[in-house]
Amino acid sequence: MDFTIDDEQRALRDAVRDMASRFAPPEERDKVPTGPRAHDAKAWTALAEMGLLGLPFAEDAGGMDATAVEVVLAAAELGKARVQTAYGEALVAASLLAAAGDQKALLEKVIDGSALVLPAFAEPMRAWAPHDPSVTASGGSLSGVKAPVPIAEVDAVLVTACEGDQTGVYLVDSPQVSDGALKLDGTAATKLNVSADDLDAALNLGIVALAGEALGAMDAALAMTVDYLKTRKQFGVPLMTFQTLTQRAADMYVSVELARSTVLYGAMTLAERPSDNATASRVKVLTGRTGRHVGQEAIQLHGGIGMTAEYAVGHYTTRLTAIEHTFGDTRYHLGQLARDVSDHAEVDVFA
Amino acid sequence: MKRQLSDEDAAFRQRMREFFTTQVPEDIRTRWAAGAEEGMDDLIRRSQQLLNANGLAVPGWPKEWGGQDWSTLQRQIWHEEMQAASVPPPLAFNANMVGPVIAAFGSEEQKQRFLPATANLDIWWCQGFSEPDAGSDLASLRTTAVREGDEYVVNGQKTWTTLGQYADWIFALVRTDPKAPKKQMGISFLLIDMLTPGITVRPIQLIDGGHEVNEVFFENVRVPADQLVGEENKGWDYAKFLLGNERVGVAPVGSIKRKLADAKTYAASIATPTGTLLDDPLLAARIAELETEVMALDLTVLRVAANSKDGKPDPASSILKLRGSQLQQDVLELIVDIAGPMGLQWAAGDELPGWATHSTPTYLNFRKASIYGGSNEVQRQIISGGILGLKG
Ligand SMILES: Cc1cc2nc3c(=O)[nH]c(=O)nc-3n(C[C@H](O)[C@H](O)[C@H](O)COP(=O)(O)OP(=O)(O)OC[C@H]3O[C@@H](n4cnc5c(N)ncnc54)[C@H](O)[C@@H]3O)c2cc1C
Repeated sequence: MDFTIDDEQRALRDAVRDMASRFAPPEERDKVPTGPRAHDAKAWTALAEMGLLGLPFAEDAGGMDATAVEVVLAAAELGKARVQTAYGEALVAASLLAAAGDQKALLEKVIDGSALVLPAFAEPMRAWAPHDPSVTASGGSLSGVKAPVPIAEVDAVLVTACEGDQTGVYLVDSPQVSDGALKLDGTAATKLNVSADDLDAALNLGIVALAGEALGAMDAALAMTVDYLKTRKQFGVPLMTFQTLTQRAADMYVSVELARSTVLYGAMTLAERPSDNATASRVKVLTGRTGRHVGQEAIQLHGGIGMTAEYAVGHYTTRLTAIEHTFGDTRYHLGQLARDVSDHAEVDVFA
Repeated sequence: MKRQLSDEDAAFRQRMREFFTTQVPEDIRTRWAAGAEEGMDDLIRRSQQLLNANGLAVPGWPKEWGGQDWSTLQRQIWHEEMQAASVPPPLAFNANMVGPVIAAFGSEEQKQRFLPATANLDIWWCQGFSEPDAGSDLASLRTTAVREGDEYVVNGQKTWTTLGQYADWIFALVRTDPKAPKKQMGISFLLIDMLTPGITVRPIQLIDGGHEVNEVFFENVRVPADQLVGEENKGWDYAKFLLGNERVGVAPVGSIKRKLADAKTYAASIATPTGTLLDDPLLAARIAELETEVMALDLTVLRVAANSKDGKPDPASSILKLRGSQLQQDVLELIVDIAGPMGLQWAAGDELPGWATHSTPTYLNFRKASIYGGSNEVQRQIISGGILGLKG
């Protein structure tokens, strides 16, 4: 196993870092958006132009023929710079379109940024359960509700639905999203020719992309916290004089390093075995917990300033909370892993 | 040792429960429970005035100023029942902070002028202690007050002033003797009308998007000298009294228990492939864990309250503040997890209920609970130094 990144990967990382710095949200008072970030068409175009939306897809579909590893490296830079987009979600949709085989035209548009296609899998008043939707399909039309839909201004969404006891993925063109919900009432849809494995693989790619973004956010939140402990003075001394704070910063660092190993390993593994659900779940559980730890401590060690919208640290915590609840939260993935603990004696990272 | 409430206390509890659930209008309680920010000043005002009319707003004050002859246990029961019924509690700045200080250290004229209006929320107070460079290290505050004839001239800045946008008056710690041998010794406690020329209030937005704290700037603000509480340069003593005098309500046990009960209702309303979230063993175990922890806090509040020496700051309240803020945060975290993907959206709609879409901003907002009113680090220091005698 080798975690070092090569020259090409470094070049990608640097390019994304440079681009992301141009789209970082303002830190000016009264101008800082809070809550779920609205779609930023300019940032999205920049992502597309850099090829990020097609990173792990084949060149003949407009992709870059790279892997989940590159996705993670790119997403981490977005996370650091707080460029909060539907990157992970778009990769899930693109992965399904790629798996379908006959959606090349749409896939190309997704990759070049001219069409925004996202998954709408979550359902109101239902826990995350991607293979058990309550939306039903019958003869090419869908009924039920999907919510929340990540972004209202989508050109199309992919929807999971049950036809009998079969779960399928359906493409809905120009969906009408209102108040975050997509109401389907005999709505026409195209069934994608994808398997349950394809759905898992797509979600796993989304999970690892978001884990990469979380890693970047955690790195940045930790760096800000360390910096603040060095500069903020109380009782006539810098906060770093108080060991109770420096030791907690050390714990944050330990958490982040373990997350880094896990996310990078997850990316390498999923690049080889896209539907390795156990690995994806472990990545999700670990980054979920770490994100919570780091996000909460980053605010706490800052004191009041960490609570404010004009200061970046709380926004990392907000984003980490959202990431944790996307594509299944810690509880869900822990449940998946718990179900299968008797399948193996130990976790072999070389297997 | 005795497990049950005495007959008298049981009857008291019943009386409180009845009042809060039948005499406080339903609309106040449901809107408060839903955490409405819009119009929350009005809810607080209506609630406090109703409580005050019934002798329930400031039970801890001296009797002649509206207080009650209740035991600490009874005040604890009063507080828990109030929270359990989602009744907006009396504004802490009035009822728990400036009121008791004026009652204990104010002049007779100040008591008459301020206490009835403070109990009835005819004056809305805000707390002007913290400054940008004086947070945990409050004694290093720099806002100055210089005596000129029968006035003080105040210059400087306060920050984190909660609900300052609604406040009529501010009670502020100001430096009156910059040359005092210890910085704690040069501080005074001033009452200032927010309409006095030279005061500017500027909102601070928090990460949940809400506006509850402010910066307050003072530029040559002239304050009549009869608005000084107690003696000049004794303000630190009064501030210490203010921060330590109240143990009732330090841990919001009633509201934590209610939220946890709500959480169970929410969990039971979320479908999973095999039932509801409440049947999920991982989630159920977490609720069971929290119920046990909250019970321990509930009992500790009762045990500590029963032993309280009235009016004396007691390091035991640090246990309540520390654990109370942690459990409050834990329960809000649980609710975000129950909301699951619905918590990704912050605006309610007909498909997404308000409890779910508010869950994330509420969770983020309450990260404040371990920072304000003496951060958890400061509380641990009070426990280690003040109780365990570990003074490094
Ligand atoms: C939402 C909110 C509402 C508030 N409302 C009011 C109000 O109405 N009126 C008012 O006057 N103030 C108010 N405050 C201010 C609050 O009391 C301060 O935020 C608090 O005292 C901490 O100060 P600080 O924010 O400057 O953090 P700092 O004191 O700079 O602390 C930063 C970090 O260092 C830790 N720390 C500091 N000193 C030590 C030490 N010696 N040992 C170990 N750790 C230490 C802290 O615990 C914290 O984790 C409010 C704050 C918030 C967030």
